[in-house]
Amino acid sequence: MASSARDWIEKIRGLETDRPVRILNVCGGHERTLAAAGIRSLMPPNIRLIAGPGCPVCVCPEEDLYQLIRWAVAGEAIVVAFGDMLRVPVNAPKSEARSLEEAKAAGADVVAAASPRDAVEVARRNPDRPVIFHAVGFETTLAPISAAIVEGLPENLFLLMSGRLTWPIVAQLLASDDVNLEGLVAPGHVATIMGATEWAFVPQEHGVPAAVAGFTAESLLEAIYTVASRAIDGAADLSNCYSLAVRDDGNALARQMMQECFEVTDANWRGIGVIPNSGFELKEKYAAHDARRRFPVLETDRKRAGQMPAGCDCARVVMGRIAPNECVLYGAACTPRSPVGPCMVSDEGACRIWWSSGIRERAPGADAEASPGP
Amino acid sequence: MCLAVPMQIDEISGLEARCSAKGVSRTVSLFMIQDRELTIGDWVLVHVGYAIQAITEKEARESWELFDQMLED
Repeated sequence: MASSARDWIEKIRGLETDRPVRILNVCGGHERTLAAAGIRSLMPPNIRLIAGPGCPVCVCPEEDLYQLIRWAVAGEAIVVAFGDMLRVPVNAPKSEARSLEEAKAAGADVVAAASPRDAVEVARRNPDRPVIFHAVGFETTLAPISAAIVEGLPENLFLLMSGRLTWPIVAQLLASDDVNLEGLVAPGHVATIMGATEWAFVPQEHGVPAAVAGFTAESLLEAIYTVASRAIDGAADLSNCYSLAVRDDGNALARQMMQECFEVTDANWRGIGVIPNSGFELKEKYAAHDARRRFPVLETDRKRAGQMPAGCDCARVVMGRIAPNECVLYGAACTPRSPVGPCMVSDEGACRIWWSSGIRERAPGADAEASPGP
Repeated sequence: MCLAVPMQIDEISGLEARCSAKGVSRTVSLFMIQDRELTIGDWVLVHVGYAIQAITEKEARESWELFDQMLED
């Protein structure tokens, strides 16, 4: 650790307050840094670091994933998805494939990708077959996807749009009555694309201090200290603790490409519901590449209440309402080896990150009833 | 999903670059930062095959220190 990280910890420990200061992060990368550097255990009792909705895989609607699995199994197309999506389970009868990985094992054409360029490559190599790429992620990932679109997609490549914007869910959390937050650590790579000023609404409209953070312990601790000290002083403003990569206006060229390709629409978040203006759809000029228009969309009458497996509390974990190890399934029925919910599958999921950092036990007193499953 | 890795540019050919970090070499698209002046030896933040921003060597090295810690875990 750089000594300056220790300095920041000392400064945070020196903050005097007799009331809790709850600071939300909304980024799996931040959560990983917190866990890897053991930062939570170094915080004074009143500074509480809450893992929020920082995992696009975890909030991808179940119906999108179910649709992809069905298309793959029916042989409609070669399905290309980010590796993180392959093991995410959906609710389906035991006789059906319940993840893209199971569909692949059953013989469907499913390809794991690390880049939208991989999907372009698969489409070029298979000109006589349709290829569906699952466009999932936050702004950081949707920007490169827009670059791939602007560069030119092969005719046989279609996108299933599941991308989401981060700020609307934060706005919803800040406006909700049951979540009290005193500070926000804003996501550094989202801001690299979208600009730091996108987060100015947090202090301006909600009176909550915010700081954009990078991914080193030093940058993250600086952001935590900044928002905590502002909150204690009763002040609210926006700071940029990641100025090496983040400018006020972000990457203007990337934002132009996104505007050229995408409409912002109301969108469903798995386990959370529909959030206004929080999703990306393809603009009409790219409609020919929209998988939903090209392939039969299955109308299913299966119940989707909660969209989570029985007993799974991922929705409350994603919203920062409970810590991962307060879910009754954590470490018992749900582990990375046999995950029940998306937060234990994805490398970005808070449950998976906590498990990987060595937290194996449920929190004391976490025997309360989990929210009922679907 | 939003993880972006600092890599150093070894070769540039149009809007494609060969970049490396920790002995791993990758072809990276410079399409999203084509408005920046880039030369061999510069560092970029790479996410899903695209450079999303140019960064300083100092930032790149600090980020890698952290990744190294994580990889040791």
